[in-house]
Amino acid sequence: MELTKDTYSTHISQQFNNELEQIRTELLTMGGIVERQVHDAVEALLTGDAELAERSRRVDKQTNDMELMIDERCTTIIAKRQPAASDLRLIVAISKAVNDLERMGDEASRICRHAIELVEDGESQRGYQEVRHIGNLVRSMVKDVLTAFARNDTELAYHVAKQDKAVDQEYRTAMRSLMTYMMEDSRAISSCLNVIWVLRSLERIGDHSRNMAEHLIYLVSGTDVRHQPLSKIKQTAGISEPEEPKE
Amino acid sequence: MKMTTNAKTHGIDISSLQREARTLDLDTETTTLKVRDLRLSYGDKEALHGINMDIPKKRVTAFIGPSGCGKSTLLRCFNRMNDLVDGCNINGQILLDDNNIFDRTVDVADLRRRVGMVFQKPNPFPKSIYENVAYGLRIQGIKKKRDIDETVEWALRSAALWDEVKDRLHESALGMSGGQQQRLVIARTIAVKPEVLLLDEPASALDPISTLKIEELIHELKNDFTIVIVTHNMQQAARVSDYTAFMYMGDLIEFGVTDTLFTNPEKKQTEDYITGRYG
Repeated sequence: MELTKDTYSTHISQQFNNELEQIRTELLTMGGIVERQVHDAVEALLTGDAELAERSRRVDKQTNDMELMIDERCTTIIAKRQPAASDLRLIVAISKAVNDLERMGDEASRICRHAIELVEDGESQRGYQEVRHIGNLVRSMVKDVLTAFARNDTELAYHVAKQDKAVDQEYRTAMRSLMTYMMEDSRAISSCLNVIWVLRSLERIGDHSRNMAEHLIYLVSGTDVRHQPLSKIKQTAGISEPEEPKE
Repeated sequence: MKMTTNAKTHGIDISSLQREARTLDLDTETTTLKVRDLRLSYGDKEALHGINMDIPKKRVTAFIGPSGCGKSTLLRCFNRMNDLVDGCNINGQILLDDNNIFDRTVDVADLRRRVGMVFQKPNPFPKSIYENVAYGLRIQGIKKKRDIDETVEWALRSAALWDEVKDRLHESALGMSGGQQQRLVIARTIAVKPEVLLLDEPASALDPISTLKIEELIHELKNDFTIVIVTHNMQQAARVSDYTAFMYMGDLIEFGVTDTLFTNPEKKQTEDYITGRYG
């Protein structure tokens, strides 16, 4: 059956409605915090703002606390309400999405650490262009996947999964060029590595966004699309537009 | 599959696990009872509007649905309990091993031996525990004490009751607890070796522990019998049954593998019912 925004408010038990609505809201709140973390981490790195990086790292504690809290709520709902069908899928999807969000927070924290190191040890000569570019892509993925969760929008979720391919591609290209650069100038290796770790973290954030998109498609369609090719995800998400030419 | 080869490199073959998880499929089951366009009305009011379904052999099939949806009515058709209701009119067929049970030549007493039924409230006869179980056998004309003894013990063991009552077989059945009485009634039903066991809310008058014992018993009994259970308790249906049929207002809305029906039902009505949105 189709999920709408009212799906979680039509139970006979008003209490149950409230509980489901609450964990949905909390997931999105947590998503907002993580989105901010990722944004600040990239900004701190690009502008060399160590103070912003330090502040952003402290926020990670909040993300961790929210993970624990939402997970506990999910457990309580399973124990008390024995949710079935779409309700059950909501709990499972949220519980997994929370895990991915928390990891995204960790990666953002890691970026901040490297940002601080780059400020302290002197900045890298190369790689900022790539960080800006991949950073923008990843930030829009995070934003989109949260919007998809808020609206139960599988089409947008598919778009996020597709974006992840692009990020992976960009990441590989950046890697190649930085590798070449390091071979040319071995003195740059230390600072260049910091940038590589940052790119790696951004790529991981992209992966987690894609995971979340897959959880959302499972929540809405009931089909588990993990480890499936994009074409299968597209089909499950119910998108029938003609195939775009291969890049 | 890629997953399998990965698992094999770690010395585990998960293909058998995957197979086990997917064994249940209505299309591959042997059928015990076939319901064909069954319409039933009480007077002018039609209670079942043309039901078609195949009840698989040696599986547990649960009927769920709100009050008055016709699930008990349908269950009662299987051993023609509705014959006793005034103004009840039945059209269509129910085939037990390809013979229509509504056929004029069918001996109803024999049908009810082959299709046994257990009701919501335990209804043991005011006799001893032993006589309750032996009753059906005596009616069948079995006279040898040794045969009867053997069957009584087998039935009581199958109903997970033997250890509790073996020292007081000749005391009155009415002195047992509700849960024990219900298991005794099940023992009495299976003593005559029916093919199908109909359970009409068998645990709704029992405490949680007795309920779990009955559920465990159902799980054991499906090795020997085809079981059809009506229950208001959806979690119970999810726990005990292999297949679930959701009925609403005299129609069969959805019938499928329990695991699928409770995680990803096809119809919105089913979803609304099992998630507590109406009913």
